[in-house]
Amino acid sequence: MSEEIVWDGRTYPYIPPAELRIAPGLTLHDEADATIDPVTHEVLRHALWNVNTEHGNTIMKISGSPICAYGHDFNPCILDEKGDFVFFGPFLQYLSAAVGNAVKWTLENRSDNPGIADGDMWLSNDPWIGATHQSDVVVMAPVFHEGRVFCWVANTLHQWDLGGTAPGGFNPFAQDVFWESPCIPPVKILEGDVIRRDIEEMYLRSSRMPDLVRLDLRAEITGCRIARDRILEMIGRYGAGTVKATMRKLQDDSEAAFLRRMDTIPDGTWTEEGWMEVAMPGDRGLYRNRLTLTKKGSTLTFSNEGSAPQGGTLSGTFAGWKGAVVSMLASQMLFDQMFVIEGALRHCEFEVVPGTITCATRPAAVSGSPALTLLQSIGLGGLVISKMLATSSDEALRSEVQSCMGVLSFPINAIQGVDQRGAPFSSFLLDPVGAALSAYSWRDGQDTGGWPWDLQSTMPNVEETELFYPMLFLWRKELPDSGGAGRWRGGNGAELAFVPHRTDGINLFTITSEVAVPGPGIFGGYPSSTNSFVLVHDAGVAEQIARTGRMPGALSELEGELDMVPAKSFDRRPTPADVWVFGWAGSSGYGDPLRREPSRVADDVAAGRVTADWAEKAYGVVLAADGQPDEDATAARRLAIRTERLGGTPPAREERGDEAGADGAQRLTEYLDVIDGQVRSVPSGRMLGPVAGGYKDGLTRRDLPLTEANPNVRDPSIHTDNAVVFRQLIDPETGTLVATEIVVDGEGLQHDSTIR
Amino acid sequence: MISGHGNGSTMGYYCGVDIGGTFTDCVIMDESGTVTLAKASSTPPDFSQGFMAAVEEAGRRAGLGVEELLSQTDLLLHGTTVGTNVLVQMRGARTGLITTRGHRDALIMMRSFGRSAGLPIERLLHVSRHRKPDPIVPPAFIKEVSERIDWAGDVFLELNEDEARQAIRELLDDGVEAIAISFLWGFVNPDHERRVKAMVQEMAPEVFVSCAHELIAKPGEYERTAAAAINCFIGPVTSTYVRRLDEATTAKGYAQPLLIMQAAGGVVPAAQAAESPLFTIGSGPVGGVTGAAFLADMLGHRDVIACDMGGTSFDVGLIHEGVALTATDTVINQYTFFMPRLLIESIGSGGGSIIWLDEGSGTMRVGPESAGALPGPACYGRGGDRPTTSDANVVLGRYNPDNFLGGRMTLDAEAAHRAMATVAGPMGMTEVEAAAGAVRIVESEMADLMRQMTLEQGLDPRGFVIYAYGGAGGAHAANFARELGCDRVVVPLGDLASTWSALGVMSADVLHVYEKAQLMAAPFEADALNAVFDELEERAREQLASEGFTGDRVEIRRFADMKFNLQIHQVEVPVPGGTLTGEQAAAQVDAFVTRYEQIYGAGSAFTGAGVQAGVFRVSARGKVRTPSLVRGTSGAATVTPSGRRDVHWEGTGFQPTDIFHGEALSPGATVTGPAIVEMAETTIVVPPGDSGTVDPYGSFVITIGEGSR
Repeated sequence: MSEEIVWDGRTYPYIPPAELRIAPGLTLHDEADATIDPVTHEVLRHALWNVNTEHGNTIMKISGSPICAYGHDFNPCILDEKGDFVFFGPFLQYLSAAVGNAVKWTLENRSDNPGIADGDMWLSNDPWIGATHQSDVVVMAPVFHEGRVFCWVANTLHQWDLGGTAPGGFNPFAQDVFWESPCIPPVKILEGDVIRRDIEEMYLRSSRMPDLVRLDLRAEITGCRIARDRILEMIGRYGAGTVKATMRKLQDDSEAAFLRRMDTIPDGTWTEEGWMEVAMPGDRGLYRNRLTLTKKGSTLTFSNEGSAPQGGTLSGTFAGWKGAVVSMLASQMLFDQMFVIEGALRHCEFEVVPGTITCATRPAAVSGSPALTLLQSIGLGGLVISKMLATSSDEALRSEVQSCMGVLSFPINAIQGVDQRGAPFSSFLLDPVGAALSAYSWRDGQDTGGWPWDLQSTMPNVEETELFYPMLFLWRKELPDSGGAGRWRGGNGAELAFVPHRTDGINLFTITSEVAVPGPGIFGGYPSSTNSFVLVHDAGVAEQIARTGRMPGALSELEGELDMVPAKSFDRRPTPADVWVFGWAGSSGYGDPLRREPSRVADDVAAGRVTADWAEKAYGVVLAADGQPDEDATAARRLAIRTERLGGTPPAREERGDEAGADGAQRLTEYLDVIDGQVRSVPSGRMLGPVAGGYKDGLTRRDLPLTEANPNVRDPSIHTDNAVVFRQLIDPETGTLVATEIVVDGEGLQHDSTIR
Repeated sequence: MISGHGNGSTMGYYCGVDIGGTFTDCVIMDESGTVTLAKASSTPPDFSQGFMAAVEEAGRRAGLGVEELLSQTDLLLHGTTVGTNVLVQMRGARTGLITTRGHRDALIMMRSFGRSAGLPIERLLHVSRHRKPDPIVPPAFIKEVSERIDWAGDVFLELNEDEARQAIRELLDDGVEAIAISFLWGFVNPDHERRVKAMVQEMAPEVFVSCAHELIAKPGEYERTAAAAINCFIGPVTSTYVRRLDEATTAKGYAQPLLIMQAAGGVVPAAQAAESPLFTIGSGPVGGVTGAAFLADMLGHRDVIACDMGGTSFDVGLIHEGVALTATDTVINQYTFFMPRLLIESIGSGGGSIIWLDEGSGTMRVGPESAGALPGPACYGRGGDRPTTSDANVVLGRYNPDNFLGGRMTLDAEAAHRAMATVAGPMGMTEVEAAAGAVRIVESEMADLMRQMTLEQGLDPRGFVIYAYGGAGGAHAANFARELGCDRVVVPLGDLASTWSALGVMSADVLHVYEKAQLMAAPFEADALNAVFDELEERAREQLASEGFTGDRVEIRRFADMKFNLQIHQVEVPVPGGTLTGEQAAAQVDAFVTRYEQIYGAGSAFTGAGVQAGVFRVSARGKVRTPSLVRGTSGAATVTPSGRRDVHWEGTGFQPTDIFHGEALSPGATVTGPAIVEMAETTIVVPPGDSGTVDPYGSFVITIGEGSR
């Protein structure tokens, strides 16, 4: 590793400079009409959006791969001449930053040799330049007008296989990037609007599935071609200056909306962290992913300081991480700006520590990161942004404050073998895209509602999986209690179970990092469940149904020996006598569950979303025989829980009715506000200490086993040697749960919310 | 026998009835093609009263009593939104669901995408507002039964009848009015579903019961279960309505089964519609497209964009090579289900769409919010103070405040100006500039939708003729046609436009669609294809024969949904009729590639990936020999305008403009733009450079000037 850090996309990631260095032979069209009449703008805005829609639909239809149709692992976009976004697309949001970086790098590094010309398209999958990992291939087309680059259209699409030591490109044993699919810095795949055969053949040569990759390449190229031609038509009709003025105005309007919202937020710093297990198969360590957001004036700075050193499967590059942490800005702060994310990006800075799992340097192996570290970084991004928005004076903006999303680490359940028709197959289950949406400050999470960064998450039907693969699902159902408990309940995840069917054998692999430690709750909410894989040997399904005529419907109804499968595992080979049970995490809870209306808990129990046991234990709600809350028993139970929280001492007082910030104080969290630099615990009114540090010391601390955090969480010592506890931080007078943390090896998040 | 004329029976009337929110329209046509129209008020919640009133009025106008009319009616066809309304308003039956043990959550999970399915793009990014809809079947009414069939149709676990009986008993105890039955792979082997249905019928004959496999024969348990659940949810209300109407019309002398319009673009007998009301969902705009296809056939237009602009929405259908294009799934209330239907897409852009100022960007937006019927546009004078598209048309002088809708309504021009000023002022525009801008936005958004729809089908919109109907269509059609590069607009049939949907319903054929899912990989064997299509066609021909359609009255089209291996998205490809030869079977791959490249562009297909077919479909039409419309008598080519007023035109501003009254225009009459033609149901705008003429059937045809295209 060189001494000097150069952010050029070679050893260190490419971080675009403020002014791009472009060869003089290439000129950019940067003249926009000074003003644009509001009607023409509206007409062009609509038309440009339609260009992007058509671009995306074209890719989805031509590719037609399940990755595209269900995983939505692609996105089209329109960028201006310098590679800043005009419209990003409505599919995977975290792919965003990568494309912009790829365009900027191409402008800087290809404008002199071989030169960028009309009719070119460029292809790249280099994660140090502008790809989330090697499988996400970017195709970019400059749109030329009168010899100058007017704008770019580009897309990213996940490929089946581009070669390397493992099918699909991801080898969990990879020691470095040389074990993985080749990295391709931007190359000219089209010249004069014709595919360059030499480049295409080089691109396909390493793939195990060149036919499909070739089909997907056509999807990407056709999408760009359609978008480029449509924009040229618009220029022909309205004039380049007018179309450019619309592009600029879209960016400016989005920026103005962003700044209006920023104005309601005090300067401050917010931190969150998550834990992932197993960097290399066989290890039992936990690795920290830490994200800090600082707001100063109109600038947001994201930092990865404190994250674990790069290594093993967890490492990701800057391009992916940047896209991950900003992807939640779009839905939380620019929800009304139709994917014009540039408005926020103009005010985002990134202070990254290289050599970490979120900013790996070459030659780290990085292809596994999107499903692991990058996904978790999206969740952490949502949390730090939420903590920031919780301090806003704008009540509407505070309605975007959310708990941790479900499925913080994608549980890859790969499956290979011989299918029911005798042909070899290799695939993975896409069911966990049915993640749970977060709980918000005003509503519960949506059970199996999908991710907040994949706006149209689509689970396959069970029948579609069974039609193509040799398996028979015993069940696929939402998992009660898997959403974190809270004033607003996290959404439930789900669980499926299958037996191998009409096959001699299948081989299962697991790759994830959320089996040991779940996602954290927010403002006193409980954590979610974890992902889980259990292989039940000799489950006795055939005997059971022969004997009872009844299909088993839950793990507890199966016989046999349980193999608690770790986050990364290989060569589990179930026979038709075994059952594979696979669950994915819910989203976490928001706020103290004792503050949830008992009737909501009763409704959840009646609908099977929460078990009666957990209702009593976490929510303190006791149900009468008719299923309605027993008011007296509930009050008594809730008092008992507060007393337990305070170490056996009954609370000194009841909660005051006030909301945080009610008397003009500055809100800090749901239950904390700030008066004259001192933090107040709102439930009791007690002053805790200076906001600049240490206020959590004024709260009662209670450490519990992680299994107390969620009934679906298993003892972490099954999978890790690190000590993990569920920490509750409690108002010492009322017993209100002000905050929860997941603490590894004794260290907690001491100052996760500070304002200045 | 319902095949209409030509069965040797005496010739009689065709009668179409279409029920909208406000009016119930009836169109009758005699064997000579002479048409009589009538309107009556719709009568919710019992729409049958309005139905009979409209038929009675039509009879009166034709000089017949209602019984006289109905007893001489060969075909009585009806389009109803009863089922759609029940679903949209979530006022359906208390519905239970019996499904495979372990899979009760399929309907609740909604494959996850139920949280955002069908959301307009403007709301897609606002994740905190995503929400799955209220369940059609509450979780407590979803019962699981042990049974299991695998993908090949083999029984893995025999139906547990004790559990089934118990489940039915519990649902009945809970007072359900309808029970849906949907098992995994029930469409491959329907035995378990059928047996449970028989048990329900035995235990509770009064309960509406519906099996998923009877509705849909494709893989996808969520969409199939949703279809069965929705069918049950709307079933009791819709079937009661349809049956009662059938009985009432029979009592009044109509001897055939009442025919009900389906979303797929044809009619089926009332008894079938009562069992499967699902297929009426979304059939509201179908009548209009069917009517367009009927007229297009007479006029010799093979490619037509059919658009309906009413008060709140703009609905577009496509007719290509004489056939209305179809789609295979439907999203309503965020529920998705498979259902063959006419491809019709909508945006919230109508005469009542509100023009508003987007404070953030300082730009103008139009819709999707609508002023609705109440208060309606400001110019209606019913208290509306926000400007709408109709108000813009008043401000621009396109609408005549004193002769709107044939003089039935007086518009308040001042109110329109006042409302427009609320948006114009903050933008530093005059009311006229704002109105002209709003109209431009509306027209370009409409053109964007039509362009998108045609391009996605691989078609060039410039070759299409635009049919514009609905109250607000005529005002905008010339401009959005120009925007699209089309050269011709047909505003159908002058006054008939007002009852256009009823005319469409009246002209519909009987249509049955049969599907079978079966995975086949290329190279295809002729025997296998023949076996699938023989089975489907036999069912279709049997059904049509029972309805009186044989010989050349039967039109069968075959399709296969095909894709490249490992793709999800399928393309519908026509398959030749008759017994296929080996050569034809092999050529099916070429047909797929051709269609594929037509949609996605040359070079996009890559056959190296391998080709599969998954679903086979037969669309069987019982051709109703609707007579041709009567041609009118030609009149003078040159017509004297009924007046002149200032109308605003883009580029030139207000100009004195000729105004024509529709009734003064006979076939052959020609109008040169700029001009306004005021018809009883719509106002037609003929911009400068364009011209219009009345065709022999009374439709107004606008030719877009070459210079302005």
